Amino acid sequence: MGFGQFLTEPEFKFIIVTHRDIFQNISQEISRFGNEYAERSSVITLDKDDMKKMGLKAGDTVVAKNTSARVVLKVESSVYEKPHPGIAFMINGPWANALVPADTGGTGVPRFKKIEVTLSRSKTEKVTPLNDLI
Amino acid sequence: MYKGPFVCTGCALLCDDIAAEIQDNRIIRVDTACRKGVSRIKGCSSPMSCMVNGKAVDIDTAIKEAAMILKSSKHPLIFGHGNCTLETQKKTIELARKIYAHIDDTSSFCQGPLIEAILNEKLPTCTLEEVRHKADVVIFWGADPSNSHPRHLSMYSYFPRGKERQRGWEEDRTAITIDIRKSDTAALCGDKFYEIPINGDSEFINALFSALSNKVPKTSFNMDPKKILELANILKKSDFGVIFAGLGMVYSLDSLEPLLRLINKLNETSKFYLIPMVGQYNMRGFDHTLFKETGYINRVYFGREKIEHGPQHSIIELINNNVVDAALIIGSDPLASLPGEIAKKLANVPLITIDPCNNLTSQRSKVTISSALSGVECAGTAIRMDGVEVTLKQIIETDRFSDEQIIKQIMGKI
Repeated sequence: MGFGQFLTEPEFKFIIVTHRDIFQNISQEISRFGNEYAERSSVITLDKDDMKKMGLKAGDTVVAKNTSARVVLKVESSVYEKPHPGIAFMINGPWANALVPADTGGTGVPRFKKIEVTLSRSKTEKVTPLNDLI
Repeated sequence: MYKGPFVCTGCALLCDDIAAEIQDNRIIRVDTACRKGVSRIKGCSSPMSCMVNGKAVDIDTAIKEAAMILKSSKHPLIFGHGNCTLETQKKTIELARKIYAHIDDTSSFCQGPLIEAILNEKLPTCTLEEVRHKADVVIFWGADPSNSHPRHLSMYSYFPRGKERQRGWEEDRTAITIDIRKSDTAALCGDKFYEIPINGDSEFINALFSALSNKVPKTSFNMDPKKILELANILKKSDFGVIFAGLGMVYSLDSLEPLLRLINKLNETSKFYLIPMVGQYNMRGFDHTLFKETGYINRVYFGREKIEHGPQHSIIELINNNVVDAALIIGSDPLASLPGEIAKKLANVPLITIDPCNNLTSQRSKVTISSALSGVECAGTAIRMDGVEVTLKQIIETDRFSDEQIIKQIMGKI
């Protein structure tokens, strides 16, 4: 048990943009309750430099937080996307949706593709399970 | 024994060339379909059963309980329909009228504005067959069909050697992606990928409009004007251009005005059309059906005195404002697709789910009614993403009722 665990992890502002993924789609067709669906839907993809700045490596977990929810996600690094500092990508699903604000200003259209959050490194927490989201 | 061709209901492309190997009334192999389609046709691993308050019941008991909930509700909502046949959708609209319900579908928070503009003849559109045979310029705008509609590029938009495009993608077609991220589809487009910032679509449209008007295009995100002028040149020279509009574009535009202006400008010099990249296999069908009956594509309230429509009748605002006291969910999983806070609120309303498979919504429902998987266990019709009606065939036999039969029975008990 080290001194570091008592320090608060710094929070960084990000915008999450959601997108589709064929492999998550397949796992969704098979079962919403399967491990593969959960594993693919709970990943947040970050820019390499942002990961470096936050002291993160692939497979680490981060806490994504805003006024709507607090969700623990697994980090992956971008592969072929151009640099995207401050922007994170997630496959759309219940983990990303938990962070989408309910307020639409009366339009009835939530901001599914521009989710403002803060991200901080998580030391010990595991990815939020599906049942805790709803 | 191989049978076919069947229609895949994995997405709104409704691929109609599916072959299936059937043994003892089981589908043991699916050919031609994409990975997603194969998973849809083979069926889920957790089929839903009929339940009331978490206890297994026979279908008659579940239907009776569902009818009782709807009958005693003052403000019922009927939501979903994206994975239902046209025949079912007609019945759910009839049910909504009968019980003075609110009715809505996922187009309410996705492709609705585009479908509405097409049905009101504000946006020119074409069929996917025309794309295959004629299109020389295809633009994937805020869309990534390589992931959302895996056979889009090979069946219709890029790779086929169409009647007037015999040289296919190598020489006869130019594929362009406009997006905020280099998607798998953008990677295929090479240097014809136009990366824009979040919510930058409207500004990019204005810059492109300037370039089409022979003015120097400027953007606050410093995209090279030469690149935009080069794009304008490609579009001007096009004989048959198509914009495939995805959610990235829809969510970014506050109104369709910039898009309509761009399409009109493009049609001054060439022929340009738009097809919305609809996800669920028959979401567009619901919008067509409701439009035909009410003049609106979604967000309708069948009041006792008149039909009302507007954002206040969207599922999001109905739940936000605690209007609904019971909901029938059919062919959809809103607890998985709505914002978390709204999903939690919806989960506290008495829910009835009709679906072939267990999902997040069924797990929290008071009543679940197991139905046949359309296009596999029952036949019907549906509307493809381009507005073309397609007939779905039955592949295997089942004891389960179709959605349509279930709705009919519920209506009979109200």
